[in-house]
Amino acid sequence: MKMLRVRFHGRGGQGAKVANRILGTAAFIEGYHAQDFPLYGAERRGAPIAAFTRISREQILERGVISNPDVVIIMDETLLDDPLAHPLSGLKQGGTVFVNTMHSQSEVKDKYMFRNFKLFKDEMLHSVQHDNKVILSGIEESNVTLSAEVITLDITKIGLEMLGKLVLSALAGGIASKISGLGEDALKRAVEKELSEFIPERELVVKNREAAVHCYRAIRPVKIETTEAEHKGSPVIDLPFEPAIVSSPAINTVGNTPSRKTGNWRVFKPVWNYDMCTKCMICVARCPDGCITVNEDGFPCTDYDNCKGCMICVEECPSKAIERVREVHAW
Amino acid sequence: MTREMLTGNAAAAWGVRLAEVDYVPAYPITPQTEIIEMLAKWISNGDVDATFVTLDSEHSMITAAGAASATGVRVFTATSSQGLLYGFEMLYTVSGWRVPFVMVNVSRGLSAPITLEPDHNDILAARDSGFLQIHCETCQEVLDSILMAYKLAEDERVLLPVFVNMDGFYLSFTREPVEIPDKEQVRKFLPVYRPHHAYFKASKPMAQGVAVLGGPVYSYFKYQMHLASMKAIEVYKEVSEEYKKFTGRNYDTVEGFMVDDAEYVLIMSNSFSTLGKAAVQNARKNGLKAGLIRLRLLRPFPADDIRKMIRGKKAAAVIDQNISIGNGGILYAEIAGVMYNEKKMPLLLSFIGGLGGKSIGSDEFEYVIYSMVRAVETGRVELPRLLYTETEWKEMEKVKEMAGRRECGELENEK
Repeated sequence: MKMLRVRFHGRGGQGAKVANRILGTAAFIEGYHAQDFPLYGAERRGAPIAAFTRISREQILERGVISNPDVVIIMDETLLDDPLAHPLSGLKQGGTVFVNTMHSQSEVKDKYMFRNFKLFKDEMLHSVQHDNKVILSGIEESNVTLSAEVITLDITKIGLEMLGKLVLSALAGGIASKISGLGEDALKRAVEKELSEFIPERELVVKNREAAVHCYRAIRPVKIETTEAEHKGSPVIDLPFEPAIVSSPAINTVGNTPSRKTGNWRVFKPVWNYDMCTKCMICVARCPDGCITVNEDGFPCTDYDNCKGCMICVEECPSKAIERVREVHAW
Repeated sequence: MTREMLTGNAAAAWGVRLAEVDYVPAYPITPQTEIIEMLAKWISNGDVDATFVTLDSEHSMITAAGAASATGVRVFTATSSQGLLYGFEMLYTVSGWRVPFVMVNVSRGLSAPITLEPDHNDILAARDSGFLQIHCETCQEVLDSILMAYKLAEDERVLLPVFVNMDGFYLSFTREPVEIPDKEQVRKFLPVYRPHHAYFKASKPMAQGVAVLGGPVYSYFKYQMHLASMKAIEVYKEVSEEYKKFTGRNYDTVEGFMVDDAEYVLIMSNSFSTLGKAAVQNARKNGLKAGLIRLRLLRPFPADDIRKMIRGKKAAAVIDQNISIGNGGILYAEIAGVMYNEKKMPLLLSFIGGLGGKSIGSDEFEYVIYSMVRAVETGRVELPRLLYTETEWKEMEKVKEMAGRRECGELENEK
């Protein structure tokens, strides 16, 4: 087997970094050369983050981001629609994609893969994230339809049921270990090792281990043919001189903050029942993001493009007129 | 001995733990914070018997480290980038005190524009400070280098502080298997620190770090620092020989990778050398005799070892992950200095790559290697070049457009 390259996409706080570490440790336990690396810097909770694992029988002479993964683990389906995350970019033809979703495999294929692939091609150059330049360029030169093995499972639901929490590290670690062809025993030991470092409650570690194994068994094994990274040539250029009016780090465009929507990582969204609402406006006052406004009829309503789903309004509403509804698909 | 998946930061913390330090003055900065978080945890739960103090800045932190070391205890501290520059004044001061503590720098590009990812302008800014500098390629090397650094710094022929450098993100946050030696074995290699030159005793008063007036006195002290630093090359070799006996791992002042029969060599430092090694292997597959020289001990600069390694090669290309604005690559100039006046030296090419953590792709390495071949064929060495691809340029054009800079430039032109 050549080197296996796995890329995780999640949102800050979901556990992509630890899932990545579980995979790295499981591979290490099985005697492979392993390397894992999360990419985040000044990110806030909820922002798209990526993490990378390399697994090989030979010494690993690579570092940094993986631009051509064999396997992509998408821990939050809304990332598929996020032009900053572009989780499918650079995926090798015939690679494997896992999506955490309530939708079926074929629905995901129809809904995301192909549409999304086109969307990336058109919008790719308008999206800017300095860390992921290499990932971006993978898509640009690709004209073929993406063919990939798609695996789906609602690990958010499993997490809520088995852990009562929305931290998906062990679950995604279980999925990734299965797809990578690692053993169940190595997975269990890896979950123990990684989670015991920062979870003092033994019971919670055990629950996580069980949830990881549950996910591991819930998906079928995949046959992965690792290939060398696709070589796409881009010539070295002579960087031309540009005067400071262009080349100093300043921004002249104004008023573009609203174009960056920030609400798409919700797990739950607030939904108002106006029959019970007394228009007391406590929810409006309590919303930490100022997302709740008043509609034409004088009822409160929220801006779902920017609502983070913190549920403070649900807690605060004295007449229990706001319901907590699982977000199936953001916008 | 155990083997574990550790980040570069965790490997650094383990090195410090095994060195059984007495005092850790600390100030956090991305991407170094994990080192002091781990040490703080271990000190608070008793795994490490040391005093941990958070200071109000890197300036105070380096002062505290130097002052504590002057009392004869083993000291560790760490910083990165802006933090290093904030404490810059004290680097020269404490090295002049001849205090042998160890400081990790996790390389990160310097502001402005502010960024988080690595290049070496931070650590190379400190190259004239009197600190010795060891630059690491792997997480294992970070742990090993910290142990070696104490042994080197505390040698009575040296007595200068040592920097151990690793790249932010590419090492600091990257986990790979690391062997953690046993404490008892480390103690044999690095015994408890009992210095003769530095102590804190009421019965034996001493003034340290005194002021001097007059060039001859000042020159004496400064040049003694230089002589001690040069002496450290010899001491380093003894230390690395002993470390090799202890762990089996060999760390020369300069690492040669497939270099013996090489005709074309890359000269690099730190974690990107790993990418360079892959490029060398690819070039070999294509029948080209390529090799790589990795600079590990940067201060003192092991000129003889470097010279020996590049003598007789057809061409060498320095890839500087730094830029001296207005001159170019810093290490290129240093390597050129080593070669001048020597016979049978290769053509020397200069490239700047990996600024702010920009990856260096296989195409860029091919370009560098091909440039060496072409230089040998034509006998002409082209101007230094930034490694930057057309794809990256196109993306940069879009960034400028989004920021309204392109338009801004055009308006200016119309005036």
